[in-house]
Amino acid sequence: MSGIGTGYDIYSSTYSPDGRLFQIEYANKAVENSGTAIGLRVKGGVVLAVEKLVQSKLVVPGSNKRILSADMHVGIVSAGLLSDGRYIAQSARDEAKSWRDNYRQPISGKSMADRLGLFVQAHTLYSSVRPLGAGTIIGTYLDGEATLYMIEPSGVYWGYHGCAVGKGKSVAKTEIEKLKLDEMSVQEAVREAARIIHTAHDEAKDKDFELEITWICEESKGKHTAVPKDIVEEAERLAKESIKSEMDDA
Amino acid sequence: MAPQQVKPVGGFSFENYTRNAVLETKGAKPPKATSTGTTIVGVIYDKGVCLGADTRATEGPIVADKNCEKIHYLAPNLYCCGAGTAADTEFTTNSISSQLELHRLSTGRKTRVVTAMTLLKQMLFRYQGHIGAALVLGGYDINGPQLYTIYPHGSTDKLPYVTMGSGSLAAMSVFESKWRPNLTREEAIAIVSEAIEAGIFNDLGSGSNVDVCVIEENSTDYLRNHVRPNERGIKEQSYRYPRGTTAILKESIRNFVDVVEGDAMDMS
Amino acid sequence: MSLKPGEVNLGTSIMAVAFNGGVIVGADSRTTTGSYIANRVTDKLTKVHDLIYCCRSGSAADTQAVADIVQYYLQMYSVQQDEPPTVHVAATLFQEMCYQNKDQLSAGIIVAGWDKKKGGTVYNIPLGGALIQQPFAIGGSGSTYIYGYCDSQYKDNMTREECIEFVKNSLALAMSRDGSSGGVIRMAVITEKGVERLFVPGDKLPVHWQG
Repeated sequence: MSGIGTGYDIYSSTYSPDGRLFQIEYANKAVENSGTAIGLRVKGGVVLAVEKLVQSKLVVPGSNKRILSADMHVGIVSAGLLSDGRYIAQSARDEAKSWRDNYRQPISGKSMADRLGLFVQAHTLYSSVRPLGAGTIIGTYLDGEATLYMIEPSGVYWGYHGCAVGKGKSVAKTEIEKLKLDEMSVQEAVREAARIIHTAHDEAKDKDFELEITWICEESKGKHTAVPKDIVEEAERLAKESIKSEMDDA
Repeated sequence: MAPQQVKPVGGFSFENYTRNAVLETKGAKPPKATSTGTTIVGVIYDKGVCLGADTRATEGPIVADKNCEKIHYLAPNLYCCGAGTAADTEFTTNSISSQLELHRLSTGRKTRVVTAMTLLKQMLFRYQGHIGAALVLGGYDINGPQLYTIYPHGSTDKLPYVTMGSGSLAAMSVFESKWRPNLTREEAIAIVSEAIEAGIFNDLGSGSNVDVCVIEENSTDYLRNHVRPNERGIKEQSYRYPRGTTAILKESIRNFVDVVEGDAMDMS
Repeated sequence: MSLKPGEVNLGTSIMAVAFNGGVIVGADSRTTTGSYIANRVTDKLTKVHDLIYCCRSGSAADTQAVADIVQYYLQMYSVQQDEPPTVHVAATLFQEMCYQNKDQLSAGIIVAGWDKKKGGTVYNIPLGGALIQQPFAIGGSGSTYIYGYCDSQYKDNMTREECIEFVKNSLALAMSRDGSSGGVIRMAVITEKGVERLFVPGDKLPVHWQG
C-alpha cells in the first residue's frame, strides 16, 4: 500500500495528502480475512448466515456462536476481528435496552443501524482507540417488516436487500444478485443462504467450517433464533448437491 | 472537660437551625419576607398592550414606600408587572431581563414574548413556588401584542385581560363589567387606570398612584404616575409659629479666632 | 402530592374518547386558586405533537411543565426518527415523567391522538404514574360524577357526531355537579387528516335535569 512508511498510517486521526485514512483501510483488510457472513432480506423475514471457520479440532462443534442477538427481534453477525464484532453487539444490546427503557417499545432497524454507525464512526476519530476491524450485518423484523443493514469499519452504513462481508464476499454477492429476494420465502432464503456460504467457501485454502444460520420471521414468532437443525441439515444437503452437479457440469 | 469550640472557617453557619426549629414548635413566629399588597393589571387592545400597577409598597401594616415602581423593564418591547414578594419580583425580572439582553445580542433579533414567558415560568417552576413572584407579562413582537399571567409555582395563562395581586378581585370586577373586544389605545389606558383605581380604593394592600405602560409595535410609553388620585390636599391650618414667638433672653456674638503668623519656634 | 398553598389548581373535568377514524379530547375551562377563578376560559387541551394532545388535570404548573418537556422530546423524536411519534411513545414519555417524579407532582394526564399503527388511541396516566390504555378515559375532580353515565353511554365504533355528543353531554353533567369545573367546553377532534378544534360557550351547554 502506498501509505506504508510515509507516516500517514500511524494514527486513524491523520489524513494522507490524498484524503485517505489508512488505518480505516487496514481495518477493512482485517474484515476481508474473515469467514464470509451474509444477510438476506426477503418476503416476510430476514436470514443471517455465516461461514464459521473451525480453528482447531479441539473446539466443541456448535460452541462459540457467531450470530448474536441484540434484542428479541434484532440479529447481528459480523466478520473480521471477532472480539470487535462482539464489542459492537454489546453496544447494540445497550442501545436496544435504552430504547426500550425510554419508549417501552422495540427499537427499529433504522434507528439501531444509525446508533451503531455513530458508535463505529466514533472509533475512527481519536488516536487513543483503533478503528473497529469488523463489518457488521444487522437484521431486524418488526410488525411484519424486515430490515437489513451493514456497517463498515468507517461507520458508513447502508440498507440492503442482501449483503455479504468477509473472504468470500464477491462470490457471495454475485450469487445474491441472481436471487429474486422480493419474491422469496424465508424457507427458500435459508436454502439459498446455505448454498451461498458453501459456494463462497474456498476448500483448497481454508480449513473445515461450520454453517451457522439464524432467522427472524413469522415462523420464529418474530424472534431472532437459530434455524432448526433439521432445516439447516436439509439445506446443507441440497447445497452440496447443487454445487456437486455444477462442478460435474463444468 | 468543656467541649472544645471549633472556629468556623467560612461558608454558612447552621448552628441556630435546631434552636429555631424548637422555638417554632413553641409558638415563636419566624420572620417573613416583605410582601407587597398590590394591584397589577394588563389588557390587549387593537394594536398594542397596556399594563397598569399601583405604587404602594407595604411591610406588614406599614406603608413602606408611597410611590414605588411595580412595572419592571424586561426588554424595549417587553414589560412586566410584579406582585408578591417584592425582592423576588425585582430580582427575577432583573435576572430575566439580563438573560434576554444577552439573547438579543447573540441572535440579533427582537425578543419574543413567549421567550420571556418561558424563561420566567421555567425559573419559577424550578424553585417550586419558593420565589414568590406573581407576574403580569405584556409585550409586542412579530406575533402582535400578547399578555400572560405567571404564578409563583410556574403556571401561565394567556388572556386578553388579566389582573393579579391582592387587589386583583377589585380590578377584575372593572374588566368583567367594562371590557370589550378591540379597544383603542385611549380606551385601554382608561380601563386600566380605572381597574387600578378600583384596587387602590378597595384593597388595603394597594394605594397611592397609577403607573401605566403602553407597548405598541414601534413605541413603548412608560406613563409614570399617570393618575394621582391621592394628592395630599392643602391643610386648612398651619402649625408654623410666627417669628418672635420665643422670647430672646440673652444674646452673645463672637468672632472667629484669627490665626496670626507668629515668630519662629525657639529650638535651642 | 397535595397542592401547595397558593398553587394554581385545575379542578377539572377532562375526557378522551376513541371513535371510528380518530379520537376526541374534551375539557372544561375552569382554573382556580382556592375559591377564586383565576381563568374561566382556560385551554386544558395541550398539543404535544401534530396529532397527539394531552388533557391536563391537577396542578397547572406541574402539568404545563411536564407537557412542555414531553412536547420537546416528541419534536426531537420526530426529527431524529424522520417519522411522527406514535401515541404510545408520547404516553410512555408522559408516564416516565409522572412516575419518576411522583413525589413532587400532582398531575393526572390523559394522552390521546392518532397514529398510523393503531389509529385513534387513548391512554390514561392517573396520579401515581400508571399507564393504562382505554377505549375512553375520564379524569379530574368532575369525572367522579360521571363514571356511571359514561359507562352506560359509551359504545364501540361511534361516529364522529355521536362521539362529540357523548363528550359534550358527559362534560356538561360533570361541570354542573362539580364546583371546581365549569365555564365552556373545549374539544379537539383528531383524525388522520388533522385536528379540528370545537368550542361550546357556557350559555350553549347541553341542559340536563336542573332541579
